[in-house]
Amino acid sequence: MNEYLCHDFKSPRIDTSRRLPSSFRAIPVIFYVALIGCAYVMTMDYFNYKKALKQKVDAQERQTLSETQRDSFKNEKSDLESEATKAEQVAQWMEGARNIQPIAVKIARAVQTDTRITQVALERSEQVPANIALTIHLNGSKVSMELAAIEAALGQLLYRSASPQQTKNGDVVEYHSTLVRQAD
Amino acid sequence: MNPKQLACVILLMIIGAMTYTAQIIHKTVATTRAEAEDAETAAVTAENERSTAEIETAVFKANTEEVRRFLRSWLPSIEHVQTQQEAEQTIQLSLRERGISLVRSIKTESKQSAGNKLIPKSVITTLTIEEEFAKVLNWLGDIERRLPTARMKVVQITGGSSGTQLKMDVSFETPIFDLAAADADKKKVVPKPTPKVTKS
Repeated sequence: MNEYLCHDFKSPRIDTSRRLPSSFRAIPVIFYVALIGCAYVMTMDYFNYKKALKQKVDAQERQTLSETQRDSFKNEKSDLESEATKAEQVAQWMEGARNIQPIAVKIARAVQTDTRITQVALERSEQVPANIALTIHLNGSKVSMELAAIEAALGQLLYRSASPQQTKNGDVVEYHSTLVRQAD
Repeated sequence: MNPKQLACVILLMIIGAMTYTAQIIHKTVATTRAEAEDAETAAVTAENERSTAEIETAVFKANTEEVRRFLRSWLPSIEHVQTQQEAEQTIQLSLRERGISLVRSIKTESKQSAGNKLIPKSVITTLTIEEEFAKVLNWLGDIERRLPTARMKVVQITGGSSGTQLKMDVSFETPIFDLAAADADKKKVVPKPTPKVTKS
Protein backbone atom coordinates (compact mmCIF):
# COMPACT_ATOMS: atom_id res chain seq x y z
CA MET A 1 0.00 0.00 0.00
CA ASN A 2 1.23 3.37 -0.91
CA GLU A 3 1.93 5.47 2.18
CA TYR A 4 0.92 8.67 0.51
CA LEU A 5 -2.46 7.37 -0.41
CA CYS A 6 -3.16 6.18 3.16
CA HIS A 7 -2.32 9.57 4.43
CA ASP A 8 -4.53 11.11 1.80
CA PHE A 9 -7.54 9.06 2.89
CA LYS A 10 -7.13 9.99 6.49
CA SER A 11 -6.62 13.68 5.91
CA PRO A 12 -9.74 15.87 6.51
CA ARG A 13 -11.66 16.70 3.32
CA ILE A 14 -12.60 20.20 2.47
CA ASP A 15 -16.35 20.61 1.39
CA THR A 16 -16.63 21.31 -2.23
CA SER A 17 -20.20 22.78 -1.81
CA ARG A 18 -21.52 25.04 0.89
CA ARG A 19 -23.82 23.65 3.60
CA LEU A 20 -27.55 24.22 3.17
CA PRO A 21 -29.18 26.90 5.27
CA SER A 22 -30.92 25.40 8.33
CA SER A 23 -34.38 26.28 6.95
CA PHE A 24 -33.76 24.10 3.92
CA ARG A 25 -33.26 21.11 6.18
CA ALA A 26 -37.05 21.06 6.72
CA ILE A 27 -37.68 20.41 3.05
CA PRO A 28 -37.20 16.62 3.22
CA VAL A 29 -39.48 16.56 6.27
CA ILE A 30 -42.06 18.61 4.41
CA PHE A 31 -41.71 16.23 1.46
CA TYR A 32 -42.49 13.20 3.60
CA VAL A 33 -45.35 14.99 5.35
CA ALA A 34 -46.74 16.07 1.95
CA LEU A 35 -46.32 12.57 0.62
CA ILE A 36 -48.24 11.04 3.54
CA GLY A 37 -50.82 13.82 3.49
CA CYS A 38 -51.44 13.54 -0.23
CA ALA A 39 -51.66 9.76 0.01
CA TYR A 40 -54.24 10.10 2.81
CA VAL A 41 -56.27 12.76 1.00
CA MET A 42 -56.21 10.87 -2.29
CA THR A 43 -57.23 7.63 -0.61
CA MET A 44 -60.09 9.33 1.16
CA ASP A 45 -61.06 11.09 -2.06
CA TYR A 46 -61.04 7.79 -3.89
CA PHE A 47 -63.47 6.23 -1.39
CA ASN A 48 -65.59 9.38 -1.33
CA TYR A 49 -65.64 9.40 -5.12
CA LYS A 50 -66.78 5.78 -5.24
CA LYS A 51 -69.42 6.44 -2.58
CA ALA A 52 -70.66 9.59 -4.34
CA LEU A 53 -70.77 7.78 -7.65
CA LYS A 54 -72.84 4.96 -6.14
CA GLN A 55 -75.11 7.45 -4.38
CA LYS A 56 -75.61 9.32 -7.64
CA VAL A 57 -76.44 6.17 -9.60
CA ASP A 58 -78.83 4.99 -6.85
CA ALA A 59 -80.53 8.37 -6.73
CA GLN A 60 -80.89 8.44 -10.50
CA GLU A 61 -82.41 4.98 -10.47
CA ARG A 62 -84.84 6.03 -7.72
CA GLN A 63 -85.69 9.16 -9.65
CA THR A 64 -86.35 7.21 -12.84
CA LEU A 65 -88.47 4.67 -10.98
CA SER A 66 -90.43 7.39 -9.19
CA GLU A 67 -91.00 9.29 -12.41
CA THR A 68 -92.21 6.14 -14.14
CA GLN A 69 -94.61 5.41 -11.31
CA ARG A 70 -95.73 9.06 -11.19
CA ASP A 71 -96.48 8.98 -14.93
CA SER A 72 -98.32 5.72 -14.45
CA PHE A 73 -100.47 7.25 -11.69
CA LYS A 74 -101.10 10.33 -13.81
CA ASN A 75 -102.19 8.17 -16.73
CA GLU A 76 -104.46 6.18 -14.44
CA LYS A 77 -105.97 9.39 -13.07
CA SER A 78 -106.43 10.70 -16.58
CA ASP A 79 -108.29 7.50 -17.51
CA LEU A 80 -110.39 7.79 -14.38
CA GLU A 81 -111.20 11.40 -15.21
CA SER A 82 -112.27 10.40 -18.68
CA GLU A 83 -114.43 7.59 -17.32
CA ALA A 84 -115.92 9.88 -14.67
CA THR A 85 -116.70 12.51 -17.30
CA LYS A 86 -118.52 9.95 -19.38
CA ALA A 87 -120.29 8.62 -16.32
CA GLU A 88 -121.43 12.13 -15.35
CA GLN A 89 -122.81 12.72 -18.84
CA VAL A 90 -124.53 9.33 -18.95
CA ALA A 91 -125.99 9.97 -15.49
CA GLN A 92 -127.19 13.37 -16.61
CA TRP A 93 -128.90 11.78 -19.62
CA MET A 94 -130.42 8.96 -17.60
CA GLU A 95 -131.72 11.44 -15.04
CA GLY A 96 -133.99 12.70 -17.81
CA ALA A 97 -134.82 9.24 -19.17
CA ARG A 98 -136.71 7.72 -16.28
CA ASN A 99 -139.57 5.47 -17.23
CA ILE A 100 -142.88 7.13 -17.89
CA GLN A 101 -145.03 4.03 -18.11
CA PRO A 102 -145.29 3.63 -14.30
CA ILE A 103 -146.65 7.18 -14.13
CA ALA A 104 -149.31 6.44 -16.69
CA VAL A 105 -150.23 3.20 -14.91
CA LYS A 106 -150.40 4.93 -11.51
CA ILE A 107 -152.68 7.62 -12.90
CA ALA A 108 -154.95 5.04 -14.51
CA ARG A 109 -155.17 2.98 -11.35
CA ALA A 110 -155.69 5.93 -9.02
CA VAL A 111 -159.04 7.02 -10.46
CA GLN A 112 -162.33 5.39 -9.62
CA THR A 113 -164.51 3.78 -12.24
CA ASP A 114 -167.10 6.57 -12.18
CA THR A 115 -164.49 9.14 -13.20
CA ARG A 116 -163.47 9.28 -16.81
CA ILE A 117 -160.05 10.40 -18.00
CA THR A 118 -160.30 11.74 -21.51
CA GLN A 119 -156.68 12.67 -21.95
CA VAL A 120 -153.36 12.19 -20.25
CA ALA A 121 -150.32 13.97 -21.60
CA LEU A 122 -146.83 13.66 -20.23
CA GLU A 123 -144.23 15.93 -21.74
CA ARG A 124 -140.63 16.29 -20.69
CA SER A 125 -139.21 19.71 -20.15
CA GLU A 126 -136.58 20.64 -22.74
CA GLN A 127 -134.51 22.56 -20.22
CA VAL A 128 -134.86 20.13 -17.31
CA PRO A 129 -135.66 16.71 -18.79
CA ALA A 130 -136.11 15.20 -15.35
CA ASN A 131 -139.23 17.33 -14.93
CA ILE A 132 -142.41 16.20 -16.65
CA ALA A 133 -145.34 18.41 -17.53
CA LEU A 134 -148.52 16.51 -16.74
CA THR A 135 -151.87 17.33 -18.26
CA ILE A 136 -155.00 15.36 -17.40
CA HIS A 137 -158.49 15.99 -18.68
CA LEU A 138 -161.08 14.23 -16.64
CA ASN A 139 -164.73 14.47 -15.78
CA GLY A 140 -166.74 13.05 -12.97
CA SER A 141 -168.37 14.00 -9.72
CA LYS A 142 -165.37 13.69 -7.42
CA VAL A 143 -162.67 15.23 -9.51
CA SER A 144 -160.87 16.93 -6.60
CA MET A 145 -160.65 13.67 -4.69
CA GLU A 146 -159.46 11.86 -7.77
CA LEU A 147 -156.75 14.42 -8.39
CA ALA A 148 -155.63 14.12 -4.77
CA ALA A 149 -155.51 10.35 -5.21
CA ILE A 150 -153.46 10.77 -8.40
CA GLU A 151 -151.01 13.07 -6.64
CA ALA A 152 -150.71 10.61 -3.76
CA ALA A 153 -150.13 7.74 -6.19
CA LEU A 154 -147.44 9.71 -7.99
CA GLY A 155 -145.88 10.47 -4.62
CA GLN A 156 -145.26 6.75 -4.29
CA LEU A 157 -143.08 7.04 -7.39
CA LEU A 158 -141.25 9.92 -5.68
CA TYR A 159 -142.81 12.52 -7.94
CA ARG A 160 -144.11 15.74 -6.44
CA SER A 161 -146.62 17.92 -8.25
CA ALA A 162 -145.28 21.42 -8.63
CA SER A 163 -147.56 24.35 -9.51
CA PRO A 164 -150.74 22.31 -9.98
CA GLN A 165 -153.54 24.15 -11.72
CA GLN A 166 -157.12 23.19 -12.40
CA THR A 167 -159.41 24.78 -14.90
CA LYS A 168 -162.95 23.74 -15.51
CA ASN A 169 -164.16 23.65 -19.07
CA GLY A 170 -167.77 22.53 -18.97
CA ASP A 171 -167.85 19.06 -17.46
CA VAL A 172 -164.19 18.52 -18.08
CA VAL A 173 -161.59 19.55 -15.54
CA GLU A 174 -158.17 20.25 -16.97
CA TYR A 175 -155.38 19.57 -14.55
CA HIS A 176 -151.85 20.80 -15.21
CA SER A 177 -148.80 20.30 -13.07
CA THR A 178 -145.09 19.69 -13.30
CA LEU A 179 -143.88 16.44 -11.88
CA VAL A 180 -140.61 16.93 -10.08
CA ARG A 181 -138.65 13.90 -9.05
CA GLN A 182 -137.67 13.93 -5.40
CA ALA A 183 -134.41 12.57 -4.09
CA ASP A 184 -134.41 8.87 -3.24
CA MET B 1 -26.52 25.96 -7.27
CA ASN B 2 -24.93 23.03 -5.56
CA PRO B 3 -26.35 19.48 -5.66
CA LYS B 4 -28.00 19.84 -2.24
CA GLN B 5 -29.86 22.92 -3.29
CA LEU B 6 -30.81 21.23 -6.52
CA ALA B 7 -32.17 18.27 -4.57
CA CYS B 8 -34.23 20.64 -2.42
CA VAL B 9 -35.64 22.34 -5.47
CA ILE B 10 -36.57 18.99 -7.00
CA LEU B 11 -38.28 17.95 -3.74
CA LEU B 12 -40.16 21.23 -3.65
CA MET B 13 -41.29 20.65 -7.23
CA ILE B 14 -42.46 17.13 -6.37
CA ILE B 15 -44.32 18.51 -3.32
CA GLY B 16 -45.96 21.09 -5.56
CA ALA B 17 -46.93 18.50 -8.16
CA MET B 18 -48.40 16.19 -5.53
CA THR B 19 -50.36 18.99 -3.91
CA TYR B 20 -51.67 20.16 -7.27
CA THR B 21 -52.72 16.63 -8.25
CA ALA B 22 -54.40 16.12 -4.89
CA GLN B 23 -56.29 19.38 -5.37
CA ILE B 24 -57.45 18.41 -8.84
CA ILE B 25 -58.64 15.04 -7.58
CA HIS B 26 -60.34 16.66 -4.59
CA LYS B 27 -62.17 19.10 -6.86
CA THR B 28 -63.35 16.25 -9.07
CA VAL B 29 -64.61 14.37 -6.03
CA ALA B 30 -66.33 17.50 -4.72
CA THR B 31 -68.06 17.92 -8.09
CA THR B 32 -69.16 14.30 -8.07
CA ARG B 33 -70.47 14.65 -4.51
CA ALA B 34 -72.37 17.79 -5.50
CA GLU B 35 -73.85 15.90 -8.44
CA ALA B 36 -74.78 13.04 -6.13
CA GLU B 37 -76.51 15.49 -3.78
CA ASP B 38 -78.36 17.07 -6.70
CA ALA B 39 -79.40 13.63 -7.88
CA GLU B 40 -80.55 12.80 -4.35
CA THR B 41 -82.60 16.02 -4.21
CA ALA B 42 -84.11 15.25 -7.61
CA ALA B 43 -84.90 11.71 -6.47
CA VAL B 44 -86.60 13.00 -3.31
CA THR B 45 -88.60 15.49 -5.40
CA ALA B 46 -89.61 12.74 -7.82
CA GLU B 47 -90.63 10.51 -4.90
CA ASN B 48 -92.74 13.31 -3.46
CA GLU B 49 -94.38 13.86 -6.84
CA ARG B 50 -95.03 10.14 -7.15
CA SER B 51 -96.50 10.10 -3.66
CA THR B 52 -98.71 13.11 -4.45
CA ALA B 53 -99.85 11.56 -7.72
CA GLU B 54 -100.62 8.29 -5.93
CA ILE B 55 -102.68 10.05 -3.26
CA GLU B 56 -104.52 12.18 -5.80
CA THR B 57 -105.30 9.13 -7.92
CA ALA B 58 -106.50 7.14 -4.93
CA VAL B 59 -108.69 10.01 -3.68
CA PHE B 60 -110.14 10.62 -7.14
CA LYS B 61 -110.73 6.91 -7.58
CA ALA B 62 -112.57 6.71 -4.28
CA ASN B 63 -114.58 9.88 -4.93
CA THR B 64 -115.72 8.77 -8.36
CA GLU B 65 -116.16 5.09 -7.57
CA GLU B 66 -119.94 5.32 -7.37
CA VAL B 67 -120.44 7.27 -10.56
CA ARG B 68 -118.03 5.01 -12.45
CA ARG B 69 -119.83 1.95 -11.13
CA PHE B 70 -123.02 3.56 -12.38
CA LEU B 71 -121.48 3.84 -15.86
CA ARG B 72 -120.28 0.24 -15.79
CA SER B 73 -123.74 -0.97 -14.84
CA TRP B 74 -125.23 0.92 -17.80
CA LEU B 75 -122.61 -0.14 -20.35
CA PRO B 76 -124.54 -3.20 -21.61
CA SER B 77 -127.62 -1.06 -22.28
CA ILE B 78 -125.52 1.66 -23.91
CA GLU B 79 -123.76 -0.81 -26.18
CA HIS B 80 -127.02 -2.56 -26.99
CA VAL B 81 -128.13 0.13 -29.44
CA GLN B 82 -125.35 1.52 -31.60
CA THR B 83 -127.13 2.25 -34.89
CA GLN B 84 -130.41 3.68 -36.09
CA GLN B 85 -131.30 0.33 -37.66
CA GLU B 86 -130.95 -1.42 -34.31
CA ALA B 87 -133.26 1.11 -32.68
CA GLU B 88 -135.85 0.70 -35.45
CA GLN B 89 -135.63 -3.08 -35.31
CA THR B 90 -136.12 -3.02 -31.55
CA ILE B 91 -139.25 -0.88 -31.93
CA GLN B 92 -140.67 -3.12 -34.66
CA LEU B 93 -139.94 -6.23 -32.64
CA SER B 94 -141.60 -4.75 -29.58
CA LEU B 95 -144.71 -3.76 -31.55
CA ARG B 96 -144.92 -7.24 -33.07
CA GLU B 97 -144.34 -9.15 -29.85
CA ARG B 98 -146.80 -7.00 -27.88
CA GLY B 99 -149.47 -7.49 -30.49
CA ILE B 100 -149.86 -3.84 -31.45
CA SER B 101 -151.55 -4.25 -34.79
CA LEU B 102 -152.89 -0.77 -35.36
CA VAL B 103 -149.96 1.54 -35.84
CA ARG B 104 -151.42 4.71 -37.27
CA SER B 105 -148.09 6.32 -37.98
CA ILE B 106 -144.45 5.74 -37.30
CA LYS B 107 -141.57 7.98 -38.18
CA THR B 108 -137.92 7.82 -37.25
CA GLU B 109 -135.38 10.48 -37.95
CA SER B 110 -131.78 10.93 -37.09
CA LYS B 111 -130.63 13.87 -35.03
CA GLN B 112 -127.01 15.00 -35.00
CA SER B 113 -125.52 16.79 -32.00
CA ALA B 114 -122.16 18.17 -33.04
CA GLY B 115 -121.42 19.66 -29.64
CA ASN B 116 -122.09 16.48 -27.73
CA LYS B 117 -119.20 14.06 -28.12
CA LEU B 118 -120.76 11.38 -25.96
CA ILE B 119 -124.08 11.38 -27.80
CA PRO B 120 -123.21 12.67 -31.28
CA LYS B 121 -126.30 11.11 -32.78
CA SER B 122 -129.73 10.09 -31.62
CA VAL B 123 -132.83 8.63 -33.18
CA ILE B 124 -136.12 10.47 -32.75
CA THR B 125 -139.10 8.15 -33.07
CA THR B 126 -142.63 9.44 -33.31
CA LEU B 127 -145.49 6.98 -33.52
CA THR B 128 -149.16 6.74 -32.93
CA ILE B 129 -150.74 3.46 -31.94
CA GLU B 130 -154.28 2.45 -31.10
CA GLU B 131 -155.01 -0.61 -29.04
CA GLU B 132 -156.60 -1.84 -25.86
CA PHE B 133 -155.73 -0.09 -22.64
CA ALA B 134 -153.58 -2.91 -21.25
CA LYS B 135 -151.75 -3.52 -24.51
CA VAL B 136 -150.93 0.14 -24.97
CA LEU B 137 -149.50 0.58 -21.51
CA ASN B 138 -147.72 -2.76 -21.61
CA TRP B 139 -146.14 -1.81 -24.91
CA LEU B 140 -144.97 1.48 -23.41
CA GLY B 141 -143.36 -0.42 -20.55
CA ASP B 142 -141.87 -2.92 -22.96
CA ILE B 143 -140.25 -0.31 -25.19
CA GLU B 144 -138.82 1.42 -22.12
CA ARG B 145 -137.41 -1.91 -21.01
CA ARG B 146 -135.94 -2.74 -24.41
CA LEU B 147 -134.54 0.74 -24.92
CA PRO B 148 -133.67 1.74 -21.37
CA THR B 149 -131.57 4.71 -22.46
CA ALA B 150 -134.38 6.15 -24.57
CA ARG B 151 -135.87 9.37 -23.31
CA MET B 152 -139.66 9.63 -23.67
CA LYS B 153 -140.30 13.19 -24.72
CA VAL B 154 -144.03 13.18 -25.20
CA VAL B 155 -146.62 10.60 -24.24
CA GLN B 156 -150.21 11.52 -24.95
CA ILE B 157 -153.03 9.10 -24.29
CA THR B 158 -156.54 9.79 -25.46
CA GLY B 159 -159.63 7.78 -26.25
CA GLY B 160 -159.52 5.57 -29.32
CA SER B 161 -161.99 4.97 -32.09
CA SER B 162 -163.93 2.52 -29.94
CA GLY B 163 -164.73 2.53 -26.24
CA THR B 164 -162.22 -0.13 -25.31
CA GLN B 165 -159.35 1.31 -27.22
CA LEU B 166 -156.78 3.98 -26.41
CA LYS B 167 -154.82 6.08 -28.79
CA MET B 168 -151.28 6.87 -27.76
CA ASP B 169 -148.97 9.38 -29.39
CA VAL B 170 -145.40 8.82 -28.34
CA SER B 171 -142.23 10.62 -29.21
CA PHE B 172 -138.95 9.44 -27.83
CA GLU B 173 -135.27 9.94 -28.38
CA THR B 174 -132.88 6.99 -28.44
CA PRO B 175 -129.29 8.10 -27.95
CA ILE B 176 -126.47 6.49 -29.88
CA PHE B 177 -123.63 6.74 -27.42
CA ASP B 178 -120.06 7.00 -28.71
CA LEU B 179 -117.91 6.20 -25.70
CA ALA B 180 -114.73 5.86 -27.76
CA ALA B 181 -114.98 9.40 -29.09
CA ALA B 182 -115.63 10.68 -25.60
CA ASP B 183 -112.34 9.14 -24.48
CA ALA B 184 -110.48 11.69 -26.51
CA ASP B 185 -112.12 14.46 -24.58
CA LYS B 186 -110.34 14.08 -21.28
CA LYS B 187 -111.43 16.90 -19.09
CA LYS B 188 -110.85 17.60 -15.47
CA VAL B 189 -113.84 16.53 -13.45
CA VAL B 190 -114.76 17.70 -10.04
CA PRO B 191 -116.45 14.75 -8.35
CA LYS B 192 -120.09 15.48 -7.68
CA PRO B 193 -122.55 13.67 -5.49
CA THR B 194 -123.52 10.58 -7.43
CA PRO B 195 -126.99 10.65 -8.92
CA LYS B 196 -128.93 7.58 -7.99
CA VAL B 197 -130.75 6.86 -11.20
CA THR B 198 -132.67 3.69 -11.64
CA LYS B 199 -135.22 2.94 -14.24
CA SER B 200 -138.30 2.56 -12.11
